[in-house]
Amino acid sequence: MVSKVVTVCNAEGMHMRPAGMIAKLAKEHPDTEVTMKANGKDIKAKAIMQIMAAGIKKGTDVEIIANGGNEQAVLDEFVAMFEDGFGE
Amino acid sequence: MRIIDLLKKKSIHLNASPKTKSEAIDMLVDLQVKGGNIADKEAYKAGILAREEKGSTAVGEGIAIPHAKSEAVKAPSLSAMTVPDGVDYEALDGEPSNLLFMIAAPNDGDVHLEVLSRLMTILMDEDFRARLLGAKDEDEFIKVIDDMEKTKYPDEPAAVAESDTGYKVLAVTACPTGIAHTYMAAEALEKAGKKLGISIKVETNGSGGAKNVLTKEDIANCDGIIVAADKTVEMARFDGKKVLKTKVSDGIKIPEDLINRIEAGDAPVYHHEGGAETSADSGDDESFGRKLYKHLMNGVSNMLPFVVAGGIFKAIAFLIDTIGGAPQDKFFGSHFAASAWFMTIGDFAMRFMLPILAGFIAKSIADRPGFLVGVVGVYIAAQGTTFTKLDGDVPSGFLGALLAGFLGGLLMVGLEKLCDHMPKALNGIKPVLIYPLGGLGIIGVMMCAVNPIMGIINNAMNNGLTSLSDNGLEVLLGIILAGMMAIDMGGPFNKAAYVFATGVLASQTTASFKIMAAVMIGGMVPPIAIALATNIFKNRWNEEELKNGPVNYIMGLSFITEGAIPYAAADPARVIPSCLVGSAVAGGLSMAFDCTLRAPHGGVFVFATVGHWPLYILSLAIGSVVGMLMLAILKKKRTDA
Repeated sequence: MVSKVVTVCNAEGMHMRPAGMIAKLAKEHPDTEVTMKANGKDIKAKAIMQIMAAGIKKGTDVEIIANGGNEQAVLDEFVAMFEDGFGE
Repeated sequence: MRIIDLLKKKSIHLNASPKTKSEAIDMLVDLQVKGGNIADKEAYKAGILAREEKGSTAVGEGIAIPHAKSEAVKAPSLSAMTVPDGVDYEALDGEPSNLLFMIAAPNDGDVHLEVLSRLMTILMDEDFRARLLGAKDEDEFIKVIDDMEKTKYPDEPAAVAESDTGYKVLAVTACPTGIAHTYMAAEALEKAGKKLGISIKVETNGSGGAKNVLTKEDIANCDGIIVAADKTVEMARFDGKKVLKTKVSDGIKIPEDLINRIEAGDAPVYHHEGGAETSADSGDDESFGRKLYKHLMNGVSNMLPFVVAGGIFKAIAFLIDTIGGAPQDKFFGSHFAASAWFMTIGDFAMRFMLPILAGFIAKSIADRPGFLVGVVGVYIAAQGTTFTKLDGDVPSGFLGALLAGFLGGLLMVGLEKLCDHMPKALNGIKPVLIYPLGGLGIIGVMMCAVNPIMGIINNAMNNGLTSLSDNGLEVLLGIILAGMMAIDMGGPFNKAAYVFATGVLASQTTASFKIMAAVMIGGMVPPIAIALATNIFKNRWNEEELKNGPVNYIMGLSFITEGAIPYAAADPARVIPSCLVGSAVAGGLSMAFDCTLRAPHGGVFVFATVGHWPLYILSLAIGSVVGMLMLAILKKKRTDA
């Protein structure tokens, strides 16, 4: 199990499009279970609704946890996506 | 930011059947426009379509949430649609969408993300989604959401449902001074209403008059009315409605409980009877003392402005004569045109003091019919009119005013009860003719009967004082005279002492000057003692009393004993003994120190003519401090209004 804390840097926070991107990426790696911790909630990366329900704003710290499969590579992909601000 | 605050009934379309995504978007945009928060429909729709270009907003589980942040949005809002047969919204999972919410958000702020977060939080619950889809009408749809939000966010105040039929619960708050507690109770009730999700309107009967007044429509449409008041409020308008009467402090302490009781129907239906029933004389759990206090304070707070303005005018008159170097005789305070003007106008204002006091006490007891009785009753008392001597004999002053106010009010209540037996046809003329006529007759007879008793007391005292003086018991005489000045502040005792002093003053002997000095000091101590007590022992007084405290320094130093009346009227059993002891001490000391005074009034402005004036000031200081300490001991610490 590997994990890393990232800070949401895009201005709009984790609205529907970023949430969709995360869910999509998580579904591309069925062997690795990816979860996030933010605002005191445990969020499954595959569950787009859970991500949106957490209402994560810009500046919030999110811990990304990857477990199983090629976990380090998957984690790096997620971290890169956050650091890129979801292309925004 | 609650979902149901953003979602209006007219922006919901249940059981719609759009064929395509584009048709669904058109319908949702139209629903948004109906809600009224879209300034530019085309611009907003363009924003929605642009967002869909980047990827469908159908998030799975049959849910689609098209959204746009746009300049075209005036305020955040939602529209909603259920599509039982589903519509292809190009969802990621390929399933049709049957639950659609469209978000409109202004360009600035995080509201968009918050609404999204909330919608998702509640929509994750499958049962909840099923209940939404099964809603029979828009009201049920909103209720399902409201219930869910209350479950998910229990700590936040519930939404106040906008209702076309007005407020469910009404309230009136009022406290005797009308400065703080009236508004604290109103705020507490409004907050509690919000928390409980019950619409409430609160009328405040404060010192600045009634605000947010309840309308006839409000009253007609409400479930019930909470009257949280420590003074009389207009009650006739609530006839036939459920009314919960209580103390203003309950409005502050247990507002939710009060609202729940109204909603549970746990309040008696109020029946207004002939103008007599007021909030003040009902309410079974109210103690007699509490009612008494309420009536008294109703009179006192209305009287205060007269005392303050009139008293200060008189003090200015003395000041002008002092500066002008006028002789300190019995015309002191009116030697110049300017001082005479202040003296006269000030005196006019002060003449209304007692009528206002008694008028409002009686009004508090018997509603409007009582007012005349109180006002005229005091005037009769002030004139000292008796059956045999119509032009007056001995005024019965402050005590007479209290008597006129309370007895007058109670008699009017009795008269109103008696009139209940009269034929209904006469109901119309009761308030305009029968009550005033009967009231005037009753109070006239009553006061004319009381006044001779006051006269007898007065004469007896005069004789007693003369014999004390004749027997050389000067210190005792000083104690008694000064005490009398404080005992009723303008009534028979005070008058007897003052008249006795001015009577002997005519003889211009040293003994007469000493008596005058003792009498004046007795009249100066009460206001000063009270002013000191309001400064040093603040927790013994209400806000209004504290505010008026400094004025009493001026009153006392100017020998205007009336400054103490509002305080004495509010709590006679504690204030009068305190003033009496303080004055008596000062009077005794003044006599013992052989202080003399040649002017019959003027207070500190005539001190220059006082013999042994440093000792006179010392006597005044000691008496005032004694009075203050007595007040501190006798008056209870206040915890609450």
